[in-house]
Amino acid sequence: MSHLHIPDGVLPVAVWLPGLAAGLLLLVWSARLARGASRQQVAYQGALGALVLVAMAVEVPLGPLEYHLTLVGPVGVLLGPAATFQVAFIASAILALVGHGGLTVVGLNALVLGAGGALARPMYLALARRAQPPAAMAGATAVAQAVSGALWLATVMLGLGSGGAAPGAGRLGLFAAVAFPLWLVGIATESAVAWGTARFILRVRPDLLPRGPAATGSGENAGESAA
Amino acid sequence: MISTLARIDYAASAGRTPWHAASALSKLALASLLVLLAVFAPSLSLLAALYALAWLLVLSSRLPWRLTLAAAGYPVAFTLLFIIGRWDGTAATPLRLLLRPLTASLAAVWLVGTTPYPDLFAPLSRVLPRSVGDGLFLTYRALFELIGRAERLWRALRLRGGASRPPRRRLTLAGEGFATLVLYSFERSQRLYAAMLLRGHSGRICGCRHYAEWSRADLLVVLAGLAAVAAAAFLWRAP
Repeated sequence: MSHLHIPDGVLPVAVWLPGLAAGLLLLVWSARLARGASRQQVAYQGALGALVLVAMAVEVPLGPLEYHLTLVGPVGVLLGPAATFQVAFIASAILALVGHGGLTVVGLNALVLGAGGALARPMYLALARRAQPPAAMAGATAVAQAVSGALWLATVMLGLGSGGAAPGAGRLGLFAAVAFPLWLVGIATESAVAWGTARFILRVRPDLLPRGPAATGSGENAGESAA
Repeated sequence: MISTLARIDYAASAGRTPWHAASALSKLALASLLVLLAVFAPSLSLLAALYALAWLLVLSSRLPWRLTLAAAGYPVAFTLLFIIGRWDGTAATPLRLLLRPLTASLAAVWLVGTTPYPDLFAPLSRVLPRSVGDGLFLTYRALFELIGRAERLWRALRLRGGASRPPRRRLTLAGEGFATLVLYSFERSQRLYAAMLLRGHSGRICGCRHYAEWSRADLLVVLAGLAAVAAAAFLWRAP
């Protein structure tokens, strides 16, 4: 649900304008951090950005629900915080250009997706000290999805709670009652998918999974060095 | 969503209307103007006028109507949430909430449906940081190839009984499917990098340089922009 992109004109300016400014500032900052990235790393980042868009388009049937994945957790683990934020921004911008999400809220949509994704790599590295990579990937994805989903909920609640005709606590409570179980479903679904993703990568190309400073000696991700 | 994007992409390259002949920069400016006016417009009359203007742009650019409805109608579902949440018993509030995103998404669809992506991304990549500008091109290029692979993968998974397993196993299988796409993406990036080097890549993807080539078709864009500004001037304080 963190990629149910918010369209133009439904959020008050006081919400989307700071979001846009913060998104652009973080984009510039992330670009400075990723300045040393090789050209191949940028191509890899672009391909994983496309994979995020593909995942958003694929419907995963879950009983009565059709869930659309984001893959923000696995991509966050594979790319690292700076590149993941750029991927989130680019994905939001491309979606906005086809009417899925808004042009003025690209920054906010990128913040919602990118904040979770940016936490995934540090979380994965912390968990991978004690757990196997699939479990660490699932845990990191759960955190990423929880943060993105919570930010999305907070943004929508903020949007619903502002404006001339703000709803009463009853309507906000009803929205939260519907959204909260969906948020939990999102966390569980993304984590299960991430577990399968990491298990397969571990078997076939373990060097693509990030390794902590102790494992590599240089702190660099093996996938990045390969790229 | 991706099939909509693919058909819009085709319409942008194959279309032969004056809008298609106009420069990307002027269309980008007009679309931005329409979006900003729609977002800030306080008056319902102005919003209705902008919505009508956006439809005029879309219809005169001969985009397939089903495609237009599919792309421009997407915000309706999300906006309904806000309409229900902010319901105050009047018709004006829901109409305002509905017309803003619909006008903005129509303007975006018109822009993308009449401008091939290299022309559209070229001016954007010049103001964005280098890695982001390049990422925009590379993501878009990889998208259609990856969706083709994903569709084949999903079909194979279903044919082999992957969709009939219990949900937890189904999700893990989906994850493994995505992992094959991650590996493909990595190998693709290696090939792409080699091809870029062979072609004398200078360190930045700049896109084409036609995005600011003005033609007589740009006069139409200017006229549409003037119509939007005039509507704003006359209707800003209207009910």
